[in-house]
Amino acid sequence: MTIHRVIRKVQRFQGWFGGGAALCLMVGLYLGLIGSPPDYYQGEVVRIMYIHVPLAHTSLLGYTVLALGSLWYLWKRDPIVDNMCQAVAALTAVFTALALGTGMIWGKPTWDTWWTWDARLTSFTVLLLILIGYLMLRTFVDDPEKEARYGAILAIVGFVDLPIIHFSVEWWRTLHQPQSISMRGVSISSGLLVPLLFMSVGMSLLFSYMLMVRTQLLYLDRLLHAKKGRLLSQFHLSKSDS
Amino acid sequence: MTNLYIRWGGLLIVTTVLIVLTYHHYRDNLASLVPQEVRKEAPTGEIRVLGMVQGGTLKTRDAGEATFTLLGKSATLPVHYQGPPPDNLRELKILILIGTWNAATQVFEARDIGIVPNYGFIAGAYLLGLLPLALFLFAMTRRVNFLYEEIKASKLYEEE
Repeated sequence: MTIHRVIRKVQRFQGWFGGGAALCLMVGLYLGLIGSPPDYYQGEVVRIMYIHVPLAHTSLLGYTVLALGSLWYLWKRDPIVDNMCQAVAALTAVFTALALGTGMIWGKPTWDTWWTWDARLTSFTVLLLILIGYLMLRTFVDDPEKEARYGAILAIVGFVDLPIIHFSVEWWRTLHQPQSISMRGVSISSGLLVPLLFMSVGMSLLFSYMLMVRTQLLYLDRLLHAKKGRLLSQFHLSKSDS
Repeated sequence: MTNLYIRWGGLLIVTTVLIVLTYHHYRDNLASLVPQEVRKEAPTGEIRVLGMVQGGTLKTRDAGEATFTLLGKSATLPVHYQGPPPDNLRELKILILIGTWNAATQVFEARDIGIVPNYGFIAGAYLLGLLPLALFLFAMTRRVNFLYEEIKASKLYEEE
């Protein structure tokens, strides 16, 4: 089964992704804002975790999809996959920027600063810059095939930032707390974990839903341009014949 | 396109209702007073008071009791807390106290001590996290609908 068939099959369930995202996010917001207890040390402000962490997780997931899609594109040259890569890059850039923004808001009451050049924060900013660079590259190159190829190479090279982000809190002494959920176990109480899981699943479903809408948007945009271009060239050809 | 606006209009109404209900919940249950308001209004019943523990006033006893002065902008409140003092109870720390104001003894009887809730930061983070996503999704869905209509109107669509 080719990858674009998989994409088409998954897109049939677009509505389910949207509905599932809305449901999970509503439950997650209720549990996170009202139903969960405040943290012993951070107090109520810990509730920012339920929006910040899912946004950050989804950004990393988005970039992984972008890197895998880019690899697939370089191998198979499937334009549908390239379309998805372009869509996923824009969405990941938005999610990354929002993760950084909500992190800054959380940093002020807990660290007493909006920003610090901490390893986790810096590597995450580098991710945003890579994504902005990717999106700029996709608008600068005229030839669509070259544009897709250069973009895919940049996305694969940029993937090196992901392990740096992941291990930054272990490799360097940072202000950012270490991971609460890892292979070593879960170091977070269930009262705080349940809303976090609901929000994380909800945010991933929302990301998938938005990805389907954006892939569809880019496809229709290209289709319209291609068909308009074809009609225009037919018109010019008929003019020159007559 | 009309269906899109109806769907998103419905979502907007539901969101507005939820925000209003949350605001009322906050105002009725979570809003706090400052020491000068307690002095001025002498409220009865359980209240929440926000202020800083004045330096040099905190006295704790082994039996599980603490007394200190809570500092506001233009007034102070003597506070009595019965129970094991929490780790967050330190001098010069801004705290929120839950308890009752005893007008006869002019002492605030604290039942619970918590750190500053920072509701503004929480609201700001959720608005920043969710509002741009909703707007972005709305703009994309609107554009998809517009493209479908344009393709149909310009007779460019062909059944494959």
